[in-house]
Amino acid sequence: MSVSTAPGSGTFPCGVHPPEGKSFAKDCPIEVLPTPKQVRIATQQNVGAPCEGLLKPRQEVTAGEQIGSAEAFISAPLHSPLTGAAAMAQAVTLANGRHMQAMVINASEEPQPLEGQALLDDVYGGDWPLGALEQYAPEQIVDAVKTAGIVGQGGAAFPTYVKLLRNDEKPIDTVVLNGCECEPYLTADYRLMVEFPQPILAGAILAARATGASKIYVGIEDNKPLAIETLQAAAAGTGVEIAVLKTKYPQGSEKQTMYAITGREAGPGKLPSEVGCCVINVATAAAIARAVVRNKPLTHRVVTVTGGGIKEPKNLLVPVGVSCQVLINYCGGLTDDAERVISGGPMMGFTMGNIDSPVTKGTSGLTVLRTSDLAHTTETNCVRCGRCVDVCPMGLVPTRIALASRNQLWDLAKQYHILACVECGCCSYTCPAALPLVQLIRMGKVSMPRD
Amino acid sequence: MMMTIGLAAGVMLALALFMTTILGWANKALHVEVDVRIEKINEALPGANCGGCGFIGCGDYAEAVVEAGAAVTLCPVGGSALADEIAGIMGVTIEESYPYRPVVHCVAHYSDKLGKHHYDSETTCTAANLVGGVQGCTYGCLAFGDCVTSCKFDAIHVVDGKVEVDYDKCVGCGACDTICPRNVIHMVPFKASKMWVVACSNADFGKDVKAVCKAGCMGCKLCEKFAEGIFEMEGHVAKINYENYEPETVEEAMELVIKKCPTKAIVEVGNPTEADLEAVKDEELPSVITADFETTVDKTEWQG
Repeated sequence: MSVSTAPGSGTFPCGVHPPEGKSFAKDCPIEVLPTPKQVRIATQQNVGAPCEGLLKPRQEVTAGEQIGSAEAFISAPLHSPLTGAAAMAQAVTLANGRHMQAMVINASEEPQPLEGQALLDDVYGGDWPLGALEQYAPEQIVDAVKTAGIVGQGGAAFPTYVKLLRNDEKPIDTVVLNGCECEPYLTADYRLMVEFPQPILAGAILAARATGASKIYVGIEDNKPLAIETLQAAAAGTGVEIAVLKTKYPQGSEKQTMYAITGREAGPGKLPSEVGCCVINVATAAAIARAVVRNKPLTHRVVTVTGGGIKEPKNLLVPVGVSCQVLINYCGGLTDDAERVISGGPMMGFTMGNIDSPVTKGTSGLTVLRTSDLAHTTETNCVRCGRCVDVCPMGLVPTRIALASRNQLWDLAKQYHILACVECGCCSYTCPAALPLVQLIRMGKVSMPRD
Repeated sequence: MMMTIGLAAGVMLALALFMTTILGWANKALHVEVDVRIEKINEALPGANCGGCGFIGCGDYAEAVVEAGAAVTLCPVGGSALADEIAGIMGVTIEESYPYRPVVHCVAHYSDKLGKHHYDSETTCTAANLVGGVQGCTYGCLAFGDCVTSCKFDAIHVVDGKVEVDYDKCVGCGACDTICPRNVIHMVPFKASKMWVVACSNADFGKDVKAVCKAGCMGCKLCEKFAEGIFEMEGHVAKINYENYEPETVEEAMELVIKKCPTKAIVEVGNPTEADLEAVKDEELPSVITADFETTVDKTEWQG
């Protein structure tokens, strides 16, 4: 393993190291989910403004056709993953509790134009012209990313084209690819790095071209040696450098990744672009490559279905909008002792009330925990042990903020920088009194009066 | 001896004269003109300082009425009697005004709510509203009682998952309306002692409502058809237009609407009328049990 020239220290202060749980689906190659009968495309899958649905009932759609238009600056259009016919719109509740209208598309009787292995080859496989990416002009790349409706696939679903826009006042010199996948249990990004390093690197080079960055780093935690090896081999001669980072949660939070690799810090509430960085998830990079090189929109993504409560953990390539229930059924269903289905990983994911809710562009996995995995504790009083302070990667005092928020002392909460919290969940994870710290802080963020 | 007493008395007298001159001058020179009407209004106001009028407290409201021309009808606690009194002080006449009282747009008890899941985190509505899956309905009342804690008058309670307002105690300050994270509680003009209300907020299609609640409005529009002008549809949920609501004529229309309405979502809320009291006057009331505050300590002789 060659030593990285990245200026950062390879880690960040504080954080936790929860049990990894990656062994469930680590060695399961990406499989293609058989075409589902129906998909439901929620009209707001990204941070920012919702889409306007363009479908009318019984309208015929083909795979890749645009079905939702985005007018706002921070928004992303939607595309149909299937060929079929539209049905009446439905109300859906996403895993995060958001309730909205969804466009329903029933798959046609005939086989889809791309299915099974052919679909996987079309999305990530085949050859990617790593050496011939100069033919794409920066504006062309941004435009392709915008029309393809690409949003960050790490979970937050921020429209990616906004990150790639050039801003002369804040020039970007470094593109950081985030392959940390620090969230326990999830292995979708890992499998993508191991199996399809080429589109990831192509996406990174395209992002650097769009932003005008001269340096490209791929940050990978040191518990993924195979991914590091594969990407290093694939990146030889491309100028992309692999930075090996310490395995620690939340290494994959964009501010922490950026700090670990480049040593730069953006202040609270500031984006990485303030300090000349553009941080992109590896799956997003692959989607950028697909949009630019193959001119295909973001309609499919890799989802890890994992945990002790699922019979056959798998990494699946699924169309956006498919019901989580279909994914669980395809993986053999739930075991008898399965207790909690989480959309995302156990640290930042949302417990799902209704497992029939659809997969969105930001769904990175489904984690099913058994009764034995869960800590059934009852909340007690804060004992002032300071463990939350020890682990907070943002250097905050979570207990003070949370209790200020519970008692609606907004001045105190502001004084303790409530808005700097990234909601990573380290404090709640480590709290011996089982206080719902992150939930209280989130509650404070929504209820506090704005200036 | 006499000399000393005389000197002291003389000094005190001179000092007193000097001081009173200063005070007398200050009284005239630094006089602040206070409008007597402010004091009068301040006395007439209930002094609860609840903020229901939209001003910081009763004193602030009294000043606003006199100096900034605020409406004389804003005090929810005093109601129309107080509005008349303030109008008298200000020398204005008021048109008919109604007290605003909260109505709860969710009729579901725990047993009606479907898709409920075990939730053992922060038990406030604001916190529970941030996560999915606490209950199926994303519009309806979460019943953790943020409104109950916000009420200073003990006038709102959660009874078996449904929020009920005690209109005898309610003064209409609107704190419950402000705090409700799902906007289920609204302030409406109470034109009669009892008002009709569509107790559902779910704006989805009937099928989607059925999937999450046994009691919700399905948006069938029958009420809109049978009581035109009173009901209007907002999304797929009926709303009562309280501007067109006439207490004298509404009963006739509502009789038909209630007969046609396929759900339990249209309800009447408010104080019991004389007719209601008449209907139950023969029913036996439970005998009142007075709390016994006497303890064994009271009977023990003081030993200490």
